[in-house]
Amino acid sequence: MVRDTVIQWRARLSRYRLVGGKCRECQKAFYPRVKSCPYCGSRSVDDVELPRVGRLVAYTAVYSVESEARSGSPVVVGLVDLGVARVVSEITDVADPDKLERGSQVEAVFRKLYEDGDEGVIVYGVKFRPRR
Amino acid sequence: MSVSVKSASMVRVGRHYKVGVDDMVVEVADEALSDAGWRKPDAIVVSSVVYPRLSGQSDLASYVASSLGFQGVSAVAVEAGEASGLAAAMTAARLAAEGRRVLLVGVDKLSDAPSSVIYKVLKGVYHMGSDGWYMISHSAIPGLLADLYMSSYGVDRNTLSYWPALMHSHAKLNPYAMLRFAVNPEAVASAMPVAKPLTMLDSFPLGDGAAAITLAPAGDGGGIATLAAVESAVGPMTVAHADDPLDMPAVRAAWGKVKSATGVNSVDVMEIHDSYTIMAMLILEALGLSERGKAAEQVALGKFSQGGEGPLANPSGGLKARGHPVGATGVYMLAELALQLAGSFPGVRVDGARSGLAVGINAHGSTAYSALLVSSN
Ligand SMILES: [Zn+2]
Repeated sequence: MVRDTVIQWRARLSRYRLVGGKCRECQKAFYPRVKSCPYCGSRSVDDVELPRVGRLVAYTAVYSVESEARSGSPVVVGLVDLGVARVVSEITDVADPDKLERGSQVEAVFRKLYEDGDEGVIVYGVKFRPRR
Repeated sequence: MSVSVKSASMVRVGRHYKVGVDDMVVEVADEALSDAGWRKPDAIVVSSVVYPRLSGQSDLASYVASSLGFQGVSAVAVEAGEASGLAAAMTAARLAAEGRRVLLVGVDKLSDAPSSVIYKVLKGVYHMGSDGWYMISHSAIPGLLADLYMSSYGVDRNTLSYWPALMHSHAKLNPYAMLRFAVNPEAVASAMPVAKPLTMLDSFPLGDGAAAITLAPAGDGGGIATLAAVESAVGPMTVAHADDPLDMPAVRAAWGKVKSATGVNSVDVMEIHDSYTIMAMLILEALGLSERGKAAEQVALGKFSQGGEGPLANPSGGLKARGHPVGATGVYMLAELALQLAGSFPGVRVDGARSGLAVGINAHGSTAYSALLVSSN
């Protein structure tokens, strides 16, 4: 769908560079960037570039995958703590998910997210990988 | 707001390849209307999630009303992700409280597409502006929460396995349940992984279903139960924004609103949204029925089983084993509880039950609904 591609284009700033929002009123940061604070409802929000290294709070290996991910099963997904904010992300470059360690460091990398089925457009963005 | 539930009907949840949405709706609508003694309602409220997305049908409520031959009635569809059934009940109850005779129908069809396509549709219950960029399917977030639950509270995998075993023991006796067989707790951990540490036996089967109830103003007389309140509250749309991902503030808030609206603080029986074992644990804890991190152990010790301290959890078998025909699930809960309070539920029954609570959530608790039914005699 073309519309899908436009949505991806609009979201590129958040997705390519890990740009989130920081609230001037409650001081909380969040991802992705929007003009309103999901915590307190304030409209005083500034763009903020989030740290690219974080800590793996929890992770899972998904086997009941959706149609676009059938070749990549299992998909490893993590909850990553970047200090100022948390994000949900795919964890890439994992040879054996059972060897991942909770609390270990992960870093942002730029990767292909998926291929848009109808248009063949490849969508890119940030994923995280274990830090060596 | 207190309205009378006049009747309830369901089809067995399952993979009904030969039957379409239209036919399933006719079956439950006719039975519910006939039991209520109505030829046609004043309004129809419809809940469906997967079917409209697969079929492309908009304004499903008019489609359903029209195919039932109900020209001239008011028809509206309500959608709140996996909580749609109870969200539709919230609308239906208020239409009934204003004096209308209302037919509430939940219907959904998950067997019309391969499971990977269904998982892609169901991923839409999560935050599609961030988490949904990734291949999170429907089970990644529950998998993360289960991992976090086990590591934060030191709960081992096998302690979580008593929930699915309990659900299967209930479903075995429910003629409307999809999975009517027993499962040993020992079998859960070693079943096929869905999203580690969760396995297939921690999650719901993909089935079709339809359920209906009729609602009328409280003064209408008769009825099998009274719907005393339906309330809801929104929580964080992504677990990344949750102050504590293992908390479900929306569940606590929705139940809090029901308590203050009715003065009822405890119930005899409940149907809660156990899309995955971990969701049941987090709901039990958010309702205040278990301390944080203790629900799995209390389930294993029988607190929520028949004869336990209670309330009895999911005599239907829950989403786990009755099934989770997404848009219909909340209406199943209400139908089951109404029959439970009328003493005519054809499965595990709570003798003398006077009150029942339905708790539905979307996703990890991005919204929660809470409906209280009380005995009408
Ligand atoms: Zn704020």
